Amino acid sequence: MNLKKYCVRALHRLQKGPGYTYKELLVWYCDNTNTHGPKRIIKEGPKKKLIWFFLTLLFASLVFWQWGILINTYLSYNVTSSLSIGFKTMKFPAVTVCNANPFKYSEVKHLLKELDRLIEAALERILQPTPGNSSENASPPLDLGLWHQIPLVLIDEHDKDNPVILDIFESNQTALGNETAGRAPSRGSLLLSPRRDGLTLPALRPQCSHQGSDNCTYRNFTSAAQAVTEWYILQSTSILSKVPLQERIRMGYQAEDMILACLYGAEPCNYKNFTQIYHPDHGNCYIFNWGMDEEALNSSNPGAEFGLKLILDISQQDYIPYLSSAAGARLMLHQQKSFPFLKDQGIYAMAGTETSIGVLVDELERMGYPYSDCTMNGSDVPVKNLYSQYNTSYSIQACLRSCFQNHMVEICGCGHYMFPLPEGVNYCNNEDNPGWAYCYSSLRSSIRHRQICIDSCKETCNDTQYKMTISMADWPSEASEDWIFHILSYERDMSTNVTLDRNGIIKLNIYFQEYNYRTISESAATTIVWLLSSLGGQFGFWMGGSVLCLIEFGEIIIDSLWITIINVISWCKGLKQKRVQARYPDAPPTVSELVEAHTNLGFQHEDAGALPRDEALPPEPGTPPPNYDSLRVQPLDVLGPDSDAE
Amino acid sequence: GAMAPGKKITARIKRTLPVKGPQAPTLSELMRWYCLNTNTHGCRRIVVSRGRLRRFIWILLTLSAVGLILWQCAELLMNYYSASVSVTVQFQKLPFPAVTICNINPYKYSSMKDYLSELDKETKKALETFYGFSEGKSKVRRSVDEWNSTGSDFFKQIPLLKFEEFSKTATDFRSGQKRKIEGSVFHKDSSIVNSGDSNDIIGFQLCDANNSSECALYTFSSGVNAIQEWYKLHYMNIMAQIPLETKEKLSYSADDLLLTCFFDGLSCDKRHFTRFHHPLHGNCYTFNSGENGTILSTSTGGSEYGLQVVLYIDEADYNPFLVTSTGAKIIVHDQNEYPFIEDIGTEIETAAATSIGMHFTRSRKLSKPYSDCTETGADIPVENLYNKSYSLQICLHSCFQKAMVDSCGCAQYAQPLPAGAEYCNYKKNPNWMYCYYRLHEKFVKEQLGCQQICKDACSFKEWALTTSIAQWPSTVSEDWMLRVLSWDKGQKINKKLNKTDLANLMVFYKDLNERFISENPANTLVILLSNFGGQLGLWMSCSVVCVIEIVEVFFIDSLSIVMRRQWQKAKKWWNDRKRDRSGKPPQASNLERQGHDNPVCVDEDLPTFNTALRLPLPQDSPLPRTPPPNYSTLRLETAFTDQLPDTLEVGQH
Repeated sequence: MNLKKYCVRALHRLQKGPGYTYKELLVWYCDNTNTHGPKRIIKEGPKKKLIWFFLTLLFASLVFWQWGILINTYLSYNVTSSLSIGFKTMKFPAVTVCNANPFKYSEVKHLLKELDRLIEAALERILQPTPGNSSENASPPLDLGLWHQIPLVLIDEHDKDNPVILDIFESNQTALGNETAGRAPSRGSLLLSPRRDGLTLPALRPQCSHQGSDNCTYRNFTSAAQAVTEWYILQSTSILSKVPLQERIRMGYQAEDMILACLYGAEPCNYKNFTQIYHPDHGNCYIFNWGMDEEALNSSNPGAEFGLKLILDISQQDYIPYLSSAAGARLMLHQQKSFPFLKDQGIYAMAGTETSIGVLVDELERMGYPYSDCTMNGSDVPVKNLYSQYNTSYSIQACLRSCFQNHMVEICGCGHYMFPLPEGVNYCNNEDNPGWAYCYSSLRSSIRHRQICIDSCKETCNDTQYKMTISMADWPSEASEDWIFHILSYERDMSTNVTLDRNGIIKLNIYFQEYNYRTISESAATTIVWLLSSLGGQFGFWMGGSVLCLIEFGEIIIDSLWITIINVISWCKGLKQKRVQARYPDAPPTVSELVEAHTNLGFQHEDAGALPRDEALPPEPGTPPPNYDSLRVQPLDVLGPDSDAE
Repeated sequence: GAMAPGKKITARIKRTLPVKGPQAPTLSELMRWYCLNTNTHGCRRIVVSRGRLRRFIWILLTLSAVGLILWQCAELLMNYYSASVSVTVQFQKLPFPAVTICNINPYKYSSMKDYLSELDKETKKALETFYGFSEGKSKVRRSVDEWNSTGSDFFKQIPLLKFEEFSKTATDFRSGQKRKIEGSVFHKDSSIVNSGDSNDIIGFQLCDANNSSECALYTFSSGVNAIQEWYKLHYMNIMAQIPLETKEKLSYSADDLLLTCFFDGLSCDKRHFTRFHHPLHGNCYTFNSGENGTILSTSTGGSEYGLQVVLYIDEADYNPFLVTSTGAKIIVHDQNEYPFIEDIGTEIETAAATSIGMHFTRSRKLSKPYSDCTETGADIPVENLYNKSYSLQICLHSCFQKAMVDSCGCAQYAQPLPAGAEYCNYKKNPNWMYCYYRLHEKFVKEQLGCQQICKDACSFKEWALTTSIAQWPSTVSEDWMLRVLSWDKGQKINKKLNKTDLANLMVFYKDLNERFISENPANTLVILLSNFGGQLGLWMSCSVVCVIEIVEVFFIDSLSIVMRRQWQKAKKWWNDRKRDRSGKPPQASNLERQGHDNPVCVDEDLPTFNTALRLPLPQDSPLPRTPPPNYSTLRLETAFTDQLPDTLEVGQH
């Protein structure tokens, strides 16, 4: 009932209409609005009126233009950066230490025996190519099966158009091709005349997609040392990939052998405080303060005395000779619960030295979408993170490597030994996947695949880097050498013999610098508050306006719309009436009546309201429809009580 | 009738928009009108308030609000040119920087024998005389004999002296005679020499050749520095006379220096390196110099994908006096940048693998008026002698070289030659060393003005390096490694390589994050105006309209009122005089209610809706209790009808 009443009232209001014309409305608006310009338009003389009219228009357009700029600025989501630097109690970084050599040579010797003999013989051939070497006869026959999968060859490019290919072993037994056969007598001299007159004689290796197929590529090297190293890495990778993980861990360096002494701040620690992780490049790696099971350690004092002090033994005598030529410990500082990518971010520590590393934590805190394109935890990256099996957090390196491994599995059908395996896939080896080396090299050098990975991986929003100031000194000093080696040997091996030497021992100091953090944090340059105050400022500056002024303006527009509607309706009604009246015998209205209808606004609007009611609302029998025709001729004062009653 | 259309229009405009002064007759009327009708908030209060105290408070408040606005806006203006810093990190394929590698020793000592044998001989002699050092006893005697016979001019030019601090006498090492020291004494090493030190001090004297009484004595606390500095002076002198082509031949070739090269998993060779001759370091080789138009880039971080080179450092062929350390020097720089290897190079140890992890940062500053930096260096009045893009270092070196050519007449050896100049040598410029030392001292003390002229570059690229060292080759791999590398080196050298002749270098990106630090203007005009608007609105609810009002009322209207007053006075005075002459009664002024508030003459126009309400009722009409309902609307209608203004005007007057 209430609603009906309300509707009826609204209807009557509609019927009555706004009660004024456009001009009245405009003048009323100008006089009563809170915006500054319009008031002056109507207050001044014609000259000023004109000036103020244009000024108001100008200011209004200025306001809108500037608003456009402001909104654009807001939508560009700029950020401002703030930098803070100083010392605070911080989580000590996780420290990963590895030996540069992945396995003890004494442990893997039986696996690599054939390979080593092969490479020794090959080196001999390269270095002393005179046929009929006496030492060859004494040694047992070589297993050339390994060799034939990926042979090392020499290419003589003295004659640029007809390069001569010489297989290191076969060239001695059978002539390779026609060209080689023709030149057979001068073979020795060819091998030993490298790089004369700018021509190169590189050591090469052909790789075929399938055994015996023609789809082969030669990978050129300008240096035999590199060729041999690469060849050895490929071969040993293939051999070691067949060894089960437990066995590989056993073959690597054990924590108790490697970590001789440990001191964190004033508290002693030992190899048990380190978490073992198997790293494909470096074998067993040990992580201090990884924060996987226990709380991460805090450090609240700068200086070497409050940091981590380690003594490591890398036992250089037990290195695999052809696999890694650099000797030392590989270490890396990284965040808790992140995987250490030593090839990228790791540093070396040299044997026989004390390496001091001052740490500054360089943090970058970014805002996520839409301010910058970064990911908080990697869940929105379309690459399956293979490193999640280590329970480590997302990082861009993990993403890139996972992306590569996924491509590798997709294209070559097996996983690369250096990266974690997706489920249900095996590592590549020469037996099961004869063409894997070719597949891998072509994939590795494929710029397209790299770009795909770069495009699909996103960096993390919170980026932490550890800036290191590295300094080195000889350690132990000559005077202290004896007793230090003695004690350490005794502690490790329980023997009074010195089992350590300068070539294996490394001291590490890792500590926070005086200023241990530098944080660059982003904040939004334009917030909604900023936008509103800027919009208000602009409106206020040019016209003294506010939101209320906008509402006022909107009100005026609605009112003028009403006027339009009412006018249109009354016009239509007028047409209708004309037709109706033409049929009626009544005399048509006099001119004065018509004039009055137009000048007396009250009347005009009333009659205008008649039509919308009929059309917009269904006829309501409860309320008597007002007789508009009669109302029209009724005097003014009758109107008041009538409307009030409603 | 026959007026031109242009004139007609102007006449019409004049008629429709007549120029008239303000309606307010007096200044106080004008002010009152302004205060009542202005859009700013304080003024109205002043006029409306009752009571003196209240009015006074409102005046005070309004004035303080005006003051605050002025102050805040001034602050806003002054802080307009401030910059905000933004740091973006972009993960992307990065361009690999140029890597310049030099042997620390500039020229092969064996091939330099022809040029340096005299100098070396005398250096050895000096060592023997002062310190009793000799390489072999038998040699000494012979060389001393030789000494007397040859008699070189190295010591004539710059005598090495050993002298006692207090006696002010010095022993010339050649003649053994004591001589008096004239001129000022410069301690090159330290300004404070321990007076209790009984050690003799060694130094050398540089004299102005034109005026022999003008001498400067350079002393060193250690003979090592003295001998090296003295040797270097002569060495530069000798080198200045050798043409560039010869020097390039005397230095190391790419084959000499580079044993192996590996980049991004692929082999590379000397074709990837560009030779660059450095005056102090001889032939240097720049990897990825971009000279052939392509710049290599990396799309994978990590040590395997960077540059790996093995360098051959032939330690046996080192110059014993010029360089005392062994190894190589490298610098990572942009392709457009000049490698100032002597200033900011990193040294590489032999028998070790040096791994250098890079982190790339690009910075960009805003130039004028935000900060005093230069975009291209074109606005710096110093000619760029280097064929590379501008940097502060280049500017300082060029500036010094220019000063050197201007005041000494020849160019210093370590820097490029300006057009038309040639390097100093004491055959042609016997005075140059004295001049150089004097000039260098001025330069260091910032008296040459170079530091004032040269500005920072606005944008620069920086590769932060993390250097670490491992033993290389390891003890177990040493044997085969050296054998294979010797084979790589080929037949040129017929000896097996020693591991102290080799240096392994790895330069790689730690990650492919490019950190871009840029300054942006903190303010734009839009924001400045917004802030103005905020201030104006906060304190007085004012806007540009108010400002225009103020200008209109306080300047134009007030002025014209004053002018009109004066004019009326003058007119009155003139009329009085006239009347005095003619004897006519004065015309009474009938203006009682005037100004903008006077609705009768509010305007030349018809009254508006508002003013119409305030119109005085016609006196003759009866006073009805309620005004006729359509009175005002009728008025309103006529207010906007297109009546001719002139007729209205006529009606009003």
